[in-house]
Amino acid sequence: MSGQYSSEPMLDMFIFETTQNIELLEQSILTSEKSSCYTPEAINEIFRIMHTIKGSSAMMLFNEISSLAHCIEDLFFFLREQKPQDIDCSALSDLVFEGIDFIKVELEKIKAGDPSDGEASILNSNIKEFLALLKKSTPSINDIQKPSSNKKQQYYITHENIIPSSKRNAFKATIYFEEGCEMENIRAYTVIHNLKEYTEDVYSIPHDIIDDDSSVQSIREQGFKIFVKVDKTYEEMFKLLNQTIFLKDLELIQLENDEEFKQFEKSTRIVIEDREIKIPQLRDTGDKGHKEQADSHLAQQSIISVNVAKLDKLMDLVGEMVIAEAMVTQNPDLKGLELENFQKAARQLRKITSELQDSVMSIRMVPLSTTFQRMHRIVRDMCKKLGKEVRLELIGEQTEVDKNIIEHISDPLMHLIRNSIDHGIEAVEDREALGKSRIGIVTLEAKNAGSDVLVIIKDDGKGLNKEKILKRARDNGVLSKSESEMTDKEIYSLIFLPGFSTKDSITEFSGRGVGMDVVTKNIETVGGTVSVDSVEGTGTTITLKIPLTLAIIDGMNIRVGNSRYTIPTISIKESFRPQERDIIHDPDGNEMIMVRGQCYPILRLHELYGVKTDVREFVQGILIMVEMDDKSICIFADELLGQQQVVVKALPNYIKNVAKKIGGLAGCTLLGDGNISLILDINALIGVLRNKG
Amino acid sequence: MNKVLIVDDAAFVRVAIRTILEKNGFEVVGEADNGISAVSKYKECKPDVVTMDITMPEATGIEALKAIREYDPKAKVVMISALGQESKVREAIINGAKSFIVKPFKEEQVLQTLSKILSI
Repeated sequence: MSGQYSSEPMLDMFIFETTQNIELLEQSILTSEKSSCYTPEAINEIFRIMHTIKGSSAMMLFNEISSLAHCIEDLFFFLREQKPQDIDCSALSDLVFEGIDFIKVELEKIKAGDPSDGEASILNSNIKEFLALLKKSTPSINDIQKPSSNKKQQYYITHENIIPSSKRNAFKATIYFEEGCEMENIRAYTVIHNLKEYTEDVYSIPHDIIDDDSSVQSIREQGFKIFVKVDKTYEEMFKLLNQTIFLKDLELIQLENDEEFKQFEKSTRIVIEDREIKIPQLRDTGDKGHKEQADSHLAQQSIISVNVAKLDKLMDLVGEMVIAEAMVTQNPDLKGLELENFQKAARQLRKITSELQDSVMSIRMVPLSTTFQRMHRIVRDMCKKLGKEVRLELIGEQTEVDKNIIEHISDPLMHLIRNSIDHGIEAVEDREALGKSRIGIVTLEAKNAGSDVLVIIKDDGKGLNKEKILKRARDNGVLSKSESEMTDKEIYSLIFLPGFSTKDSITEFSGRGVGMDVVTKNIETVGGTVSVDSVEGTGTTITLKIPLTLAIIDGMNIRVGNSRYTIPTISIKESFRPQERDIIHDPDGNEMIMVRGQCYPILRLHELYGVKTDVREFVQGILIMVEMDDKSICIFADELLGQQQVVVKALPNYIKNVAKKIGGLAGCTLLGDGNISLILDINALIGVLRNKG
Repeated sequence: MNKVLIVDDAAFVRVAIRTILEKNGFEVVGEADNGISAVSKYKECKPDVVTMDITMPEATGIEALKAIREYDPKAKVVMISALGQESKVREAIINGAKSFIVKPFKEEQVLQTLSKILSI
């Protein structure tokens, strides 16, 4: 793929930094668009980001990205320098967004290990065209600029002021630079600049090395020739010129006479003009500004990025330490002993370990703001395409959740926002006819609720139509109970079923009926739930309830024979000791239990996992009713051991394959008494039972 | 061991240069991601040579170059430039930069430039 820098860390670095830059860029454009047009700061920032992306992608040999970044950089360079008026901002934003999208797609490919094979040529030519148009429409500024740019010229030719000094030695040097060192003309300029320390009598071929575009080519092919008169010996001169960087070849000849200088003396004496180029002072904002800068810089430096895998490992270790601490302080050997000092020390240890656990947890927490901010872009694009006017309001974007969870909710959020705009918010005319404000409002809110985070997506659109949903459900045959029995909430929840779409026409963004069930699925993978509420005519509210973290769950520990299992408390509805008369057998011999007139299948854990136990009769053990996706089953175990927070660990490899075959295991954890407990995956268990039935 | 200060706003480039240098017996004594901190880092670390990006936030590489040369007229600074920045590079040379490296650079180019400058 990418030559010398293809090593993993460099690639990671490239992806990480470019992704961050792209996000910054997107924000910057969106803000610019909101405040009607691009501020000089925004233009400068975009220019700088594109410059950075250009450089690093070129180093990684992602040439298409680099060339695209170059084009955008050129465009913003023009905007920055020429400050043209009356730019079509919206067209400009579209153009840059297209570029950003291209880079994003390529980044995804690179992340996945695929070759970055997109072609940016069409985009590039669009950007160039735009730039050309801009240049055409701002001729006056160009004209003004021209003379001043001529003034910048560093070299000029004088006819007078020549004082030939016969005392000095005359040399002719030809310098060849190494191939690929680039900017040969500036390198030649450096040589002359250095010689100027010793003498004014310097002539060169080609003589106009800066402004003549062909000079680079000529230096590459014929070498850079210098004629110089200086108070130095051949050796000294040779040594001096040999210090030239990227020097491939040096020919130095001491000239006997001034013959060869004659060709210059009449016309082409070169004087390096050390005219001071105007450069803004390093700090002209005074002391206060300086201090602020320093402060912000400090804040910047105190943040480091850490590989999540390392944090997972740390989390794991801390989890184990919490358990080890319990094993020590609650050791059975201590029973009955009066150990005042030991208890003191143990209390201290317990305090520190729990603080440690909290702070490791907090390290993994990231604010939702980045994910939320991204939605601005979705709203903008949708509005543009659908001709609607929508404002996105963010509330509580500083709310923090576990890093792993953020990755899982970004797609669902995007989907829900799209749905809200596409199906929820009405067209501008319709809204006006209804007496609503022209601009639709979509609110995205996050807030903490105990050990969960609520993410609420609310729109003030037309709301859900119960009739339409019911009709659709009837047509698809997905109704599980009679319509009259269903509550509003149950009816609305139907939209989360697979293949459900009430929109008759499919738009580019949504309505393919593959959306909402994916949302549910994604949220459920992280142990969250989705609910919906709606008032027809005033809008829809969708609430995602997401646990703060995946690494620790509230669990109920149960015993079967000598084995321990943990059930996530969130899925437990109730537990009870059944009576023999409530047990029903169906014709296939499957066991069920009747609870308050409803029938639930029973899963015997000892049978599923082949565990030896004396408790085989239902009346001796306990049934735990668990629910997931509105499906409930009863799990039969020997006894409940108690509730505790457990640290979720992945199953070790040697057991993983077996576990996959049997199913129903989500992971494992260490209990306080040193036992290993297997964490049950309720969804999978329900599946196991269904396959059996 | 020769001490180097790396100045670039792109962490990617800093890592690239650092990797090259550390592999080849240079000691990277500091990194800075803008012109202002470049100057303070220079005073703090007293490096033998500085690699200086041109386009950066806060203060540009050229402003930092001037400030560093003002503080230490013997300072050896190598500019890291992209293609198309000819005029900026020339400005840097006038202001005392010893040489420049053009992105995307190769390992040999960085090594050759730095070792040659250090030998002068």
